[in-house]
Amino acid sequence: MKFKRVAPVVFTGMALMGVAACGGSDNKSDTASTPTATASASTDEAAVQGASDVKVAFSAPAADHGWLKALSDNAKAKAKELGIDMKVSDSATTSAEQADQIETLIQDKPDVLVVLPNEGEPLTPVAQKAMDQGIQVINIDREFSAASAYHTLIAGDNYGIGVQAGNFFADQLKCKGNVAEIQGIAGISVTEQRSQGFADQIKKRCNGGIKIVAQQPADFAPDKGLTVMENILQKNKDIQAVYTHDDDMGEGVAAAIENAGLQDKIWMTGAGGSKAVMNKIKEGSEWKATFLYNPAMSADAVYLASLLGQKKGLPGFAAPDIPSKIILSATTVTKDNVDQYMSLGF
Amino acid sequence: MTTTPAAPAANAPAPARSGRKFNFQDYALVAVIAILIIVGGILEGSSFVSKDNFFNVLRQGSIVGVLAIGMTFVIATAGIDLSVGSMVAACGVAGGLLVDSGDLMFIVAALAFGIALGAINGAAISYGKVVPFIATLAMLLIARGLALWMSDKTPISLFSLDSVRWFGTGEILTIPSSLVVFLVVAAIGWVLLNRTPYGRYVVAVGGNPEAARIAGVKVQRILFSVYVLSGLCAGIAAVLLCGRLASASPVSGNLYELDAIAAVVIGGTSLAGGRATIVGTVLGVITFALVFNLLTLMNLAVEIQQVTKGGIILAAVLLQRRSS
Repeated sequence: MKFKRVAPVVFTGMALMGVAACGGSDNKSDTASTPTATASASTDEAAVQGASDVKVAFSAPAADHGWLKALSDNAKAKAKELGIDMKVSDSATTSAEQADQIETLIQDKPDVLVVLPNEGEPLTPVAQKAMDQGIQVINIDREFSAASAYHTLIAGDNYGIGVQAGNFFADQLKCKGNVAEIQGIAGISVTEQRSQGFADQIKKRCNGGIKIVAQQPADFAPDKGLTVMENILQKNKDIQAVYTHDDDMGEGVAAAIENAGLQDKIWMTGAGGSKAVMNKIKEGSEWKATFLYNPAMSADAVYLASLLGQKKGLPGFAAPDIPSKIILSATTVTKDNVDQYMSLGF
Repeated sequence: MTTTPAAPAANAPAPARSGRKFNFQDYALVAVIAILIIVGGILEGSSFVSKDNFFNVLRQGSIVGVLAIGMTFVIATAGIDLSVGSMVAACGVAGGLLVDSGDLMFIVAALAFGIALGAINGAAISYGKVVPFIATLAMLLIARGLALWMSDKTPISLFSLDSVRWFGTGEILTIPSSLVVFLVVAAIGWVLLNRTPYGRYVVAVGGNPEAARIAGVKVQRILFSVYVLSGLCAGIAAVLLCGRLASASPVSGNLYELDAIAAVVIGGTSLAGGRATIVGTVLGVITFALVFNLLTLMNLAVEIQQVTKGGIILAAVLLQRRSS
């Protein structure tokens, strides 16, 4: 009877030791998917000759959203283009889950670990652990709380998106009017920075001429954007414009405006640069602009990883090493320049 | 508020309700709603207390409301369905894949997909003997995964489907069509629960499945059916939501299950099973929708909103339990 209870534990232990001894399976990631928009610089032949010898691991949160999907796809496509057999973990829905996945990736001893953290702060320790083990870390977008936890940060400019939006609203409204702000997820750096940049720039440019009469989070979800905006419209009939933190979420906000028949009175902006929104900007709907937050930064991160793994610097740069911070500027996409950026839409 | 208690035997007549003492519990939520309206009127004036806003509140509540009607039947059997939010997304996307086939095909596909997912839940729970919490937790993941996979993680535009959009944004004699759908679903639910043998069987299974089995109730069939019913309600909710959004989004419906469960429980349906009330569920849904609406109108910070919402849920449940 005792043996029956103990046997499964013993056999499981033996199986695990066997896997450890054999080194496990190769577990190649599926890199067949093509990117929605790969806008990274064309790959320099000489710089990536030995790229296929570099072991790269990639970690990102679950791609349950247009921008994240494009980001994952772009990374995989760039790895395929460079001939890198990149291990991918992009199914985590929480920071704790992603930390576990990164721990697993570290076991495989990659040369470079490319990480878009779900949140910067909670994933700093595991990134630091990788760096301490000699694994170079490239941090995408959401910055780790310690600079020692990454070799290079490549990020979009969230504060810059807010600033660009502030400028756009100041210009369009001539520094006079009421606006609503539909934010992303409360408490994360992306939301805080996009909000702060907007508030700072409006204050700087208009000194109280533009009032943010409503400011509510809608969790980057279109259905939440819809209900939040519907409620805001009940109280604030005199809104001229809406600043939303995300294109997908903005679709719900747009639905609320259209359902209320206010598309001729209220205009809005998004952020991210989805193809659907760019098309609406082109058509001349209530969407006036979006602020580009290019998901091709992940492709650039994989390219940088291939250089870093070969101990090469950026081609054409005098400095022998890759810069520690690369911040991609925010771009305002309007009806006037939308054709120029349509290829970057996801 | 008609509360259906567990019958000692499935074929025994329901206990007579006339001549009983005033039951505070039956009117607790009405009091909560009245207080919310008074407080809202004081704080926000005509932007809260207006025909326009009340229709807005009821339109918003109708989606979770439809889910909550299905959830009432599930909870009445002492079960739980954690998958309805994800199922809403999956049903919407399933219909969205047939966007070129027209409105009717969208609706049929959404409802059929909901029934199919509900049937998987029901089969796992009633015939596979999997605990409802685990079975529906698994379906929560499966349905969300299916929604993301089928849509390629991108919203599907339904702008061309005028009839579907009418369900979300249209009106019948100035009453929002989504509210009419919710009230029809609630009315059917009330009749099913209170005026048919099926309703008595559902409550009997929740109260004491063994006694119900001995009394001749096909317990497995009843358990299976309530999850199918919940799946059907998820399909209906998906049609309403997609109609309002004019798109099928794979990330929609997030945490709707918690709102639906909370509405059912504060409405007076027992999580332990054996007691259910459709009227209570409807009042619970209205309470939730009013709270969300008022807090948004007040433009409160999200952390204050969450604390307030939690406090109101707790207070409402405590009020409900006062006479239990």
